[in-house]
Amino acid sequence: MARRHASDLGLGRTNEPGVLILTSLASGAKHGYALTQDIETFAGVKLGPGTLYGAITRLEERGLIEPMEERERRRPYQITAAGRAALTAAVREMRHISDEGAERLGLIMHLGSAIAIVNISATYASRTVRWSR
Amino acid sequence: MNNSQFKWLLRWYPRAWQARYGDELVALMEDTYAAGKIPLQGRLGIIRSGISEHLAELGIRPDGGDPNEQVRSGALLILGSWALFVIAGAGFAKFTEHWDAATPPADRWLPAGAYDLVQWSAGIAAAILLVGAMASLPSFARFLSDGGWRQIRRSFVRAAIVTATTASLTLGIVIWAHHIGPQQRNGGSWSYLGAGMVWVLLIVATILTCTTATVSTARRLELSPRVVRLEGALALLLTLAMVAIAAGTLVWWSAVATASPQFFSGSQMSGLFGTPASPIMIVVEFLIIGGLTMAASGAGRVARSIRSTSTR
Repeated sequence: MARRHASDLGLGRTNEPGVLILTSLASGAKHGYALTQDIETFAGVKLGPGTLYGAITRLEERGLIEPMEERERRRPYQITAAGRAALTAAVREMRHISDEGAERLGLIMHLGSAIAIVNISATYASRTVRWSR
Repeated sequence: MNNSQFKWLLRWYPRAWQARYGDELVALMEDTYAAGKIPLQGRLGIIRSGISEHLAELGIRPDGGDPNEQVRSGALLILGSWALFVIAGAGFAKFTEHWDAATPPADRWLPAGAYDLVQWSAGIAAAILLVGAMASLPSFARFLSDGGWRQIRRSFVRAAIVTATTASLTLGIVIWAHHIGPQQRNGGSWSYLGAGMVWVLLIVATILTCTTATVSTARRLELSPRVVRLEGALALLLTLAMVAIAAGTLVWWSAVATASPQFFSGSQMSGLFGTPASPIMIVVEFLIIGGLTMAASGAGRVARSIRSTSTR
């Protein structure tokens, strides 16, 4: 089966507003201003009102988010099941790229080496324990 | 900045969008810019987003995701860019009247070949558009029978009013032209010249409103993947025809400028600073390059997605 990319779900590149909004909504429903504050906190990206509502429009059209009841002209949005699936695909894609980058930079090897050292140490320790009995 | 200025920015968005999201966006602007003025970057972001929503309403905005929609939006972008070619073509046809009389017979072969290329390519483009329209005709009939007329009525009525106004003015100008002399027709009468300018603007408005109505309808049709692929392929062919037209006009211009520079020294065709850089041809080429840029963007979108459409 072909690998499912976030772009297949209309999310575009993984650093785009759609992904940031879905990530923010994954922890609970929020209205526009709360979204911009949350995104600025976790991603360091300040989305302008035009950009935010452009992305909200597209996400709602694709059924990835849905509006809730309006409160004082501020309407919260929540992520849908399709939105969670899209975000999962996006996160996997990001992780794949992150793993690939880490491996090419030799970071994975260091981690692998650390795991190997832990394994060897654990084996040696268990043998030592066995031998000491 | 007060609430009325927020609402002024909202006017950049389509009416349907304003009705759905307008209050929320104004509330967000109030929350975000409560302390002071909205910065220029913020204003430009809202204006850009509003224009983008207008394009989305026309179906020519890159929407991502579904390859069918990518092919359709790419094809519609190419169709929209064709409107610029039609306007440019009208200007080119008027400008090039009697060029052959001003060019020595021995030097006519190259501009004549380029001119034929433009004409043939325009004919092929018209045939491509006709085939595209025929292919979507059953979907259009279904759309109308399902009550779709209400969705497109506004754009069609606007196009019909502009077209009828242009037709009436055309008739009036033709009758007027028969009652005045050649000198008055060729710049001697300011009122006739003014009417001519209004007529040109109305022709442009007619082409644009008709294209908008067509694009607005085409984006609402439910097309099968097979028809979408066909429309995508036709749009790619249309782009090739546009490339040929662009090449033809450039070759014609440079060939006539070389063989008979005196052609550009007529009253309405004067080149800038005594050169063949005629303002009319500059506008024509500007429209052609603009259209070609739009078409290339649409063609790229179609080419990237048409394969995915065929394999799903």
